Amino acid sequence: MSGFKNLSGATKGYIVLIALVFLSWAIFKVLTPHNFGSPENLMAYFQASLIATVGAIGFYFVMDMGLFDFSIGANIILSAVVGCQLATSLEMGYLGLVIGCVVTGALVGLCNGYFYVKLRIPSMIVTAGLALIYESIANYIAGGIGQTLPSDMRGLGQMPGNIILAFVTFIIAYLVLNYTKFGTYTYAIGSNEFVAKNMGINVDKFKVYAFILSGAFFGAMAILTISYGSSIVAVTGMSSMSRNFIPTMGCFFGLAFMKYGIPLQAIILGEFIVNIIFFGFISLGAPTAIQDLITGLALLIIITLTTKVSKGEIVK
Amino acid sequence: MSEVRLQVRNISKTFGVTKALQNVSFDINKGEVHALIGENGSGKSTMTNMLTGIYPMETGKFILDGEEIHPENQVHANNIGVSIIVQELGTLSGLTVAENIFLGHEEKFITYGFRNTQKMNAEANRLLQEYGFTHIKASDMIDNYNFEDRKLIEIVKATYFHPKIVVVDETTTALSQEGREELYKHMNRIRDEGNTVIFISHDLSEILDKSDTITILRDGIYIDTVKSKDVNEEDLKKLMVGREVTGDYYRSDYGEKISDEVVLSVKNVTVPGIISDVSFDLHQGEILGFGGLSESGMHEIGKAIFGASYDREGEVVLADGTHINDITTAIRNSIAYTSKDRDNESIVLNQSIRDNIVMPSLNFLTFGKTPFLNWHRIKEFAKEYAKEMSVKMVNTDQFVSELSGGNKQKVVLARWIGKNSNILVLDSPTRGIDIKVKQDIYQLMNRLRKEGKSIIMISEELMELIGMCDRIILMKDGKLSGEVLRSPELNEQKLISLMV
Repeated sequence: MSGFKNLSGATKGYIVLIALVFLSWAIFKVLTPHNFGSPENLMAYFQASLIATVGAIGFYFVMDMGLFDFSIGANIILSAVVGCQLATSLEMGYLGLVIGCVVTGALVGLCNGYFYVKLRIPSMIVTAGLALIYESIANYIAGGIGQTLPSDMRGLGQMPGNIILAFVTFIIAYLVLNYTKFGTYTYAIGSNEFVAKNMGINVDKFKVYAFILSGAFFGAMAILTISYGSSIVAVTGMSSMSRNFIPTMGCFFGLAFMKYGIPLQAIILGEFIVNIIFFGFISLGAPTAIQDLITGLALLIIITLTTKVSKGEIVK
Repeated sequence: MSEVRLQVRNISKTFGVTKALQNVSFDINKGEVHALIGENGSGKSTMTNMLTGIYPMETGKFILDGEEIHPENQVHANNIGVSIIVQELGTLSGLTVAENIFLGHEEKFITYGFRNTQKMNAEANRLLQEYGFTHIKASDMIDNYNFEDRKLIEIVKATYFHPKIVVVDETTTALSQEGREELYKHMNRIRDEGNTVIFISHDLSEILDKSDTITILRDGIYIDTVKSKDVNEEDLKKLMVGREVTGDYYRSDYGEKISDEVVLSVKNVTVPGIISDVSFDLHQGEILGFGGLSESGMHEIGKAIFGASYDREGEVVLADGTHINDITTAIRNSIAYTSKDRDNESIVLNQSIRDNIVMPSLNFLTFGKTPFLNWHRIKEFAKEYAKEMSVKMVNTDQFVSELSGGNKQKVVLARWIGKNSNILVLDSPTRGIDIKVKQDIYQLMNRLRKEGKSIIMISEELMELIGMCDRIILMKDGKLSGEVLRSPELNEQKLISLMV
């Protein structure tokens, strides 16, 4: 036990994360040994998890500043619709898909950040309000019908395209977080905004940057989403909110493992764990309601156990 | 004739209807430690906050080495040669030591938009070595270090670039003697290099000992600038308050017998890693002091009694047998607690004076026995106790964040006086507080003692323990290390011998 204590923070973090991956895999492997958890299956779960991982990595910049975004799902849908339209209707192919999704995502992020900074109301409220608008715009552009990506343009939804895209986004996020002043300021603003301001940091500007970066990553997530699933429906009435959950969960892993210095790695493995649990339930044939119940509980337990809060410490 | 470094010219600043500074002008020379003193609310911190870009300028000007300056924020102030070490924590959690040292100054480590972390850590390590803080590692998260070490890191952060002026704003009150000595060493170094230290402290003996020149402010107005060698503490008190400080400062009585009636017993209390197997009794009408080094565990005693130590073992029992295990029970049983960390643990900064005073008394401020609050009674209650404590304010609707440190402390005390608490646990009640408010607080404690209230006073200032307490318990390494009774012969050396 004292040996574990002497390990570096990152090593401890990796050990905990890998143990959680193994534990979640082992539980379902025992329960349903024949149709779950083979190496091929695990690769498939990992590929599926990459979709939300890409969004969660971008979202980490926003959440680490103490902000929130309720327009994740709406952003993904709008970006995917625009990307799909550029790729198909304007016949721009992959270029249209990538540029359409990423630029739209970044613009949505810009709107989120701009209105949050200008209106000076909580980010949760601003983004919830804007989500309705994004949904309506997506629905208008889609003409009320589902958008389907032709089969010859789904390369980014499968190996190796999805891995490459995810890897590129991870490298960008890693470099920005660890090797630019934006990364340092992200932590500084999240730690104490007032002091950060006094250090000459233009807090509002960097918050907007964080939303733009996060939005662009959700755009990348939109590419993977439509490429993997082949189509997307522009829903309205806040139905897009259901897409918020999985990237947000991955982000929670990142925040929980920030103290170990491996937040982005934790997001990757965290999303993998979420997907192992999902696919585990599918293998068991559990009803959706039970799946959601157990998944919610399992994630709460994991985050509670990994986020060691001192007694009496204030948690908001 | 010394060369002038900073000319302060006609500086004024208002916060709402409060005139924090009124047409203040004076000079500060090169190569000196220039103290700025005055009562709480006299405008010292307002002045230095404007000089370091924390507050925007209003009217007047600062002329540094002949050039007018307009600091926009702390980093801009650094760039023009002015830095500050603040009283509370000035470092940011979640960043490494190196990132904190160079926060806002990362440009020199950035090439094509990317930061060379290795180079930055190496430079920070070099500085830490140079300052003699070899136990601090640049790449470590700052959260791994305690308050004292984080202050040392702030010293590096504020001085590594050899600024022309370094403001030391009430920093010493937060430091142990060892930490203070370290800070003094660097203040002297800065002066010897021909630069200037603006030194703010309420400890007049420290001011006289460490500074060359002293400027006195009172109610936002410039009073005088004197040479330290030409004045004594009494002269400074008179200049600060505007009259002779008369009457008793500490208690003057000796030989009064402590009541036999025990009001609270602490039995074998342990808080893992902080205090170990602590037992003592508190008597009616007694002022019981706790002294020791900052990390001796004495500050945890207050929390343990108030039910605010979450890992506490052992018992805290009232005379009627009631066990105090949580804050709610403590307050319900007439125990009050003021924390050393006033801004974070005792006061809700972004609420009004009224809300802060009435908060624990709301159960009694309703319409009869209904759950509905009686706002007329609430307003009167807040007004009554704010007045009793002579809080300097516009009215009780004013936000506490706008008050000076001493007046914030008065609000905290007004809250518990209003609650008519019988046992008061006061942790560092006069920390960062000027001489006049200190006297008010000492007199209040004496009055409460005479009314039969029992007080536990935890303090790092040995003189106030000697001056105010019937009994003093000393602590060392989390354990009780000695106990002395009130006596005119008692001196600091006796206490120090028991605590180190």
